[in-house]
Amino acid sequence: MRGDGWGEGSPNRAFIMFRLLQGKVLFFTSLSLDYFHLKHSACAKQSLLLEYTVKILKLCGLTQVRWSRYGPEYQDPQIDKEYYRKPLAQLTEEETYERELRKTQVIKAAPATKTSSVFEDPVISKFTNMMMKGGNKILARSLMTQTLEAVKRKQFEKYHAASAEEQATVERNPYTIFHQALKNCEPVIGLVPILKGGHFYQVPVPLAERRRRFLAMKWMITECREKKPRRMLMPEKLSQELLEAFCNRGPVIKRKHDMHKMAEANRALAHYRWW
Amino acid sequence: MLKGMTRLVSRVHKLDPGRFSHLGTQAPQCPVAHLDNQVPTERTRAISRTLENDPAKHGEQHVGQHYNISIQELKTVFPHGLPPRFVMQVKTFNEACLMVRKPALELLHYLKNTNFAHPAVRYVLYGEKGTGKTLSLCHIIHFCAKQDWLILHIPDAHLWVKNCRDLLQSTYNKQRFDQPLEASIWLKNFKTANERFLSQIKVQDKYVWNKRESTEKGSPLAEVVEQGIMRVRNATDAVGIVLKELKRQSSLGVFRLLVAVDGVNALWGRTTLKREDKSPITPEELALIYNLRKMVKNDWQGGAIVLTVSQTGSLFKPRKAYLPQELLGKEGFDTLDPFIPILVSNYNPKEFEGCIQYYLENNWLQHEKAHTEEGKKELLFLSNRNPGLLERLCAYL
Repeated sequence: MRGDGWGEGSPNRAFIMFRLLQGKVLFFTSLSLDYFHLKHSACAKQSLLLEYTVKILKLCGLTQVRWSRYGPEYQDPQIDKEYYRKPLAQLTEEETYERELRKTQVIKAAPATKTSSVFEDPVISKFTNMMMKGGNKILARSLMTQTLEAVKRKQFEKYHAASAEEQATVERNPYTIFHQALKNCEPVIGLVPILKGGHFYQVPVPLAERRRRFLAMKWMITECREKKPRRMLMPEKLSQELLEAFCNRGPVIKRKHDMHKMAEANRALAHYRWW
Repeated sequence: MLKGMTRLVSRVHKLDPGRFSHLGTQAPQCPVAHLDNQVPTERTRAISRTLENDPAKHGEQHVGQHYNISIQELKTVFPHGLPPRFVMQVKTFNEACLMVRKPALELLHYLKNTNFAHPAVRYVLYGEKGTGKTLSLCHIIHFCAKQDWLILHIPDAHLWVKNCRDLLQSTYNKQRFDQPLEASIWLKNFKTANERFLSQIKVQDKYVWNKRESTEKGSPLAEVVEQGIMRVRNATDAVGIVLKELKRQSSLGVFRLLVAVDGVNALWGRTTLKREDKSPITPEELALIYNLRKMVKNDWQGGAIVLTVSQTGSLFKPRKAYLPQELLGKEGFDTLDPFIPILVSNYNPKEFEGCIQYYLENNWLQHEKAHTEEGKKELLFLSNRNPGLLERLCAYL
């Protein structure tokens, strides 16, 4: 699957998120649904499986938060154009076997937002989705493209104003700037509230890759929404913030450093973590 | 056998000019000797620029190539009238390059062969959104400016029929309305574009502005323009006087007049302006539009009228309408009839390649995949070779 930097992958198990009713700690558990071999049709089987899992979870005091209508047997769609363009004669034995296997498997429907375009970028798509309000993807996408254009134009101005030696250091590709800026904003360590002895303590915890990416994007968007002057438009503010984060300065980087400092300060509570 | 050899040699010689012409104007500069090494590699890359910066010398061989306009010339010839995205592009690239295209070449050919004794011919550029009507008009204006014509350029007639904050009752005619702001801005830009003519042309009537100010007969037109810029209340009347004088005097042959109006369908449509009692105002009740309509009639000699009809910015017209009949309406079409329609369409493959090459040369396409064949094919598919769409796509790639 293209753009698989997110770690969502294609496991053959259904990941179901639970919430403890007493506390607010999130557990990740995987239930293997291979145990249910019932003599029913596929969709009835799925719905029955889900019913059983819901009942079992409610017994343990856990409720489902995010789930998928697809069962474990559904494979992710192959969107890459190069995969299909390979002539059949050039395939190795494993690849031919894999293709034959896929003909027998059920495949999920590809989401509308995933294209086989060469210009597609999963980071940009995720950021656009996070900027979207009320399902207005058209507006979010246009804001994103205007931001990239604004970043490019600013960098071109800087390039033309710089001397010959400095011109080599000026980065004009808006995509590299975007990726680097978000990477610079990612925190390394985070804080999680843990309940112990009737009090909530902020415990420093290593963050998963996707949580870090999420936090970087969330901080960037919140910063641009709340701290901008009234008449300034989002693309202008976002381009400003991205360029500052690219140079490792600016309010979002400051927030990341604040998070690190708090984690460093609460270093003694690290023992409260049990995972 | 010798005859066969000579025939072969002559055929090879006949082939050579064909190979050269693909290289555009740069070919004559390459000496013949090291041709064989250079031609194969240059043939695969499209040519995007030409060194021929004079529009009068542009021909079929320059189609798809960009020519450069210097920034000083841009400031004098185009104080207004360039599309806003083109202005941004000029600022980003630090250069103004316009593509030579077939509709503009056709118009240039007609203009070069105009008979100034005959009444002014009307040319209407029409086409779908984003095909390049305004920039073709700018190409023509640049040509006429280089040939020392007087340019009467109204950048967007739609701006005169909507969003006007201050409408005054006209001092000259009680039934009509004045638009002081729009008129004064236009007069300022007109002055920048045509400085040298304003002192030469003399006014042929006496005009009384108010109890204390008047312009005598025989004074230069620059005084009328100054009066319009200084006294904003009289700006609309100043515009009317300028138009009347220019129309009268161009027939005498002192100068050649080019009337260029972008969005001429605004003159005969509807306006969104209302009187104090909320009743709508028709275009002929606006003094600026009334005077401009007289300018667009073909009852004067010594110049040409080049017009554009556009749906962008038009009022109460469906989005897909682009033909002159649909946009001008019955009244407008009857007034403009007869005119020469010139269709401006999307890029042909050669022009598309030239445009992409121009962007690549300026490093505008920064995305790694945009340089590949796959990327180009995708851009072609997404934009359908529409110049406006292609520009917007390449802006964020």
